[in-house]
Amino acid sequence: MKELYDTISLQFTLKDFHQQKPNLAFATAEKQQLIALLTYMRDVHRYTHLVFVTAVDWLEENRFQITYMLHNYDIKADFGIRVMLDRDKPVMESIHHLWEQGRVYQRELHEMFGIDFPGSPGVNEPMILEGWQGPPVMRRDFDTAKYSLETYDHRPRDTREPESHMKEKLYPED
Amino acid sequence: MKLKDILSPLYVWKRAFEKPYSIATLTEQRPGSPVYRGFHQNDIDKCIGCGSCAEICQNITIDMVQVKEAKDGDSGLRPRFDYGLCCWCALCVDICPTGSLRMSNAYTWVEEGLDKDVRETFCFTPGVDEKPWDSEELGYKRPNDYELLHLDRVPMPHLPVEERLSSFVEMVKGYSRELARKEADRCIQCGICTATCPAHMNIPAYIKAIREDNLEEGLRIMYETNPLPGVCGRICTRRCEDVCALSHRGEAISIRWLKRYLADSVEGQKYAEILALEVQPRNQSVAIVGAGPGGLSAAYYLLKMGYKVEIFEARPAAGGMLRYGIPEYRLPYEAIDKDISFIVSLGAVIHYNTNVGKDVTFDALHENFSAVFISVGLFDSNRLAIEGETLPGVISGLDLLDDVTNGKIPVLGQHVLVIGGGNVAMDAARTARRLGSDVTVLYRRREIDMPADREEIEEAMEEKVAFHFQAIPIAIEKTSDNRLNFIWGKAEMVQQEEGKRPVPVMIEGSREQVVADTVISAIGQSAHYHWMEGNAITNIRFGRFNIEADRWGKTSDDKVFIGGDIFNRTADAITAIADGHRSARAIDAMLQQKA
Repeated sequence: MKELYDTISLQFTLKDFHQQKPNLAFATAEKQQLIALLTYMRDVHRYTHLVFVTAVDWLEENRFQITYMLHNYDIKADFGIRVMLDRDKPVMESIHHLWEQGRVYQRELHEMFGIDFPGSPGVNEPMILEGWQGPPVMRRDFDTAKYSLETYDHRPRDTREPESHMKEKLYPED
Repeated sequence: MKLKDILSPLYVWKRAFEKPYSIATLTEQRPGSPVYRGFHQNDIDKCIGCGSCAEICQNITIDMVQVKEAKDGDSGLRPRFDYGLCCWCALCVDICPTGSLRMSNAYTWVEEGLDKDVRETFCFTPGVDEKPWDSEELGYKRPNDYELLHLDRVPMPHLPVEERLSSFVEMVKGYSRELARKEADRCIQCGICTATCPAHMNIPAYIKAIREDNLEEGLRIMYETNPLPGVCGRICTRRCEDVCALSHRGEAISIRWLKRYLADSVEGQKYAEILALEVQPRNQSVAIVGAGPGGLSAAYYLLKMGYKVEIFEARPAAGGMLRYGIPEYRLPYEAIDKDISFIVSLGAVIHYNTNVGKDVTFDALHENFSAVFISVGLFDSNRLAIEGETLPGVISGLDLLDDVTNGKIPVLGQHVLVIGGGNVAMDAARTARRLGSDVTVLYRRREIDMPADREEIEEAMEEKVAFHFQAIPIAIEKTSDNRLNFIWGKAEMVQQEEGKRPVPVMIEGSREQVVADTVISAIGQSAHYHWMEGNAITNIRFGRFNIEADRWGKTSDDKVFIGGDIFNRTADAITAIADGHRSARAIDAMLQQKA
């Protein structure tokens, strides 16, 4: 798959090639070139199937990564194309015109990570979190326990800290 | 109407004879997979209630509730699960330091009755509340190749044995910053150790300070409960490590070495600034008899409360057993001096070479001071009580250690016998090795019965000290070439009383002998009180071996308190320090009440 990488590198700016298995490889592309690259992969190199679109929150680097996984049925190979987005302005071009199902993934990423895909049909509608008021749940800076405590009613708790409990029971006077 | 519309309902009927796709959920048993993360099981006898499961849980599923009585190494608390919150991630199982917590593959729980309190539904304490899945073998266990805890200690650099034997240089080198932080990082901060430490040092807090590289905060935390951290960081009996949660499946945190790292990493000159004591001076002064760890600890906390403190010390230097009973290779004098000089800098007056009862009377102390704290330690070596004990060449372990501290180089000869199995015996044996002698230790019980620290025994063996166990001394004779013939008998261990440890009984007619140049007896120490004379002692009640006192060290005389080896059973530095601290508070309470 390195050959394919070298071939498309002639036309596109790619980096971080990683061959994970004989029939699975990854590379990182430029955000501005992504639509052209995906179209080229689909129409010229027979990577006709969009397997999935997913995201990773690189909180410390202040970036989101989106991975588009493509499949070639002829040679039974997968090629994952990554793009990096600025975490403060998480907007990406939509691919729903290339693959109809792309809009479903984009709707999901919008809900889970708060990444916007302008023009993607129904991207603002809830996917599974109907009526959700809080921040996008898959962002790593979302403190689930804190949110839960502040938002929902809880059963009364009766928990003890081992250290202070032992002091109370074993050496209260010291 | 088309023909198809009439016929199509009939097509459906052919399905009635096929095997259904749906599953008979309610009538058929469908066990979870063998590694299914189902309902929890907890072996409550193995569990120590450290709370790590509750701590790691992301969903506040777990409450720690009291199930047993708290004791050393076990908080008595056990995890209670609220399945309204659990997400079955199994982090609680993965983190469990004892391995008591696991999951069964059961996943059905029908709660009957709607009148139940909502707090009771789908909540339970595994191992306590009986459940159908209690004995289920299948289910999720922590996989063996996956470990969230760091079970192995960061090794402590030691001097090699050959180098150890050629000098009295400290053999344990101490952690570097990097190693200390790595070791501190292993601590899970459960705090089970705090109760076991006689001084109840806030161990998790100072380990956290090391991890965060906040040494000054660490020093402050240590001084709250222990004004001799540099000493304890070297020779503490560290019972905290015996109960460390990590010791159940791995190695305990090196709590002692971490304490030493903290104390060694801050320069002595900076202590005053870092510990910045704001003292409200008071008029009363307290006399302390004996400048050992108990006396020094009492002095520190009394000074901190604003009292004037005068310490009366029979020896030319302070430290008591720390200085005169522990060899330099385990506890260098600089480390003792560093801790003591800070206490002295706070205004403690130490009268050296001053024997109470000789140079100053106990009566005078009793009269001139608002309170007296006695911590004279156990400096009288117990006698072997056998024939020949007074022959030249028979000495006590303490005498040897004392001489070496005083700079004398005792001539012990080729072969040295050490009688006893405690720390003094080990220290004497290893000191004799460093002085060039071959050493054999004779102990009346078995190796596992030895009261000495495991570590000291192992190090003595590394240093080629030989051992005879179950050896009972009979007599010492002088040989024709002016050496000593030590006669002993082999003992067998007899279980005389149920539940007690077996007693060594000499095998009839057994008689062994070994020739030595020096015999060192180290079979325990005691104290004497003839220095306490005069009117002042009329109110003090003496027991058979000691002075009677309550848990605060308060004797039947309001003004007189005791602490240290003459008071507690464990006779170690950290207990003496705890005694000093406790008595200082009791003295303060007593004086406040009077004022």
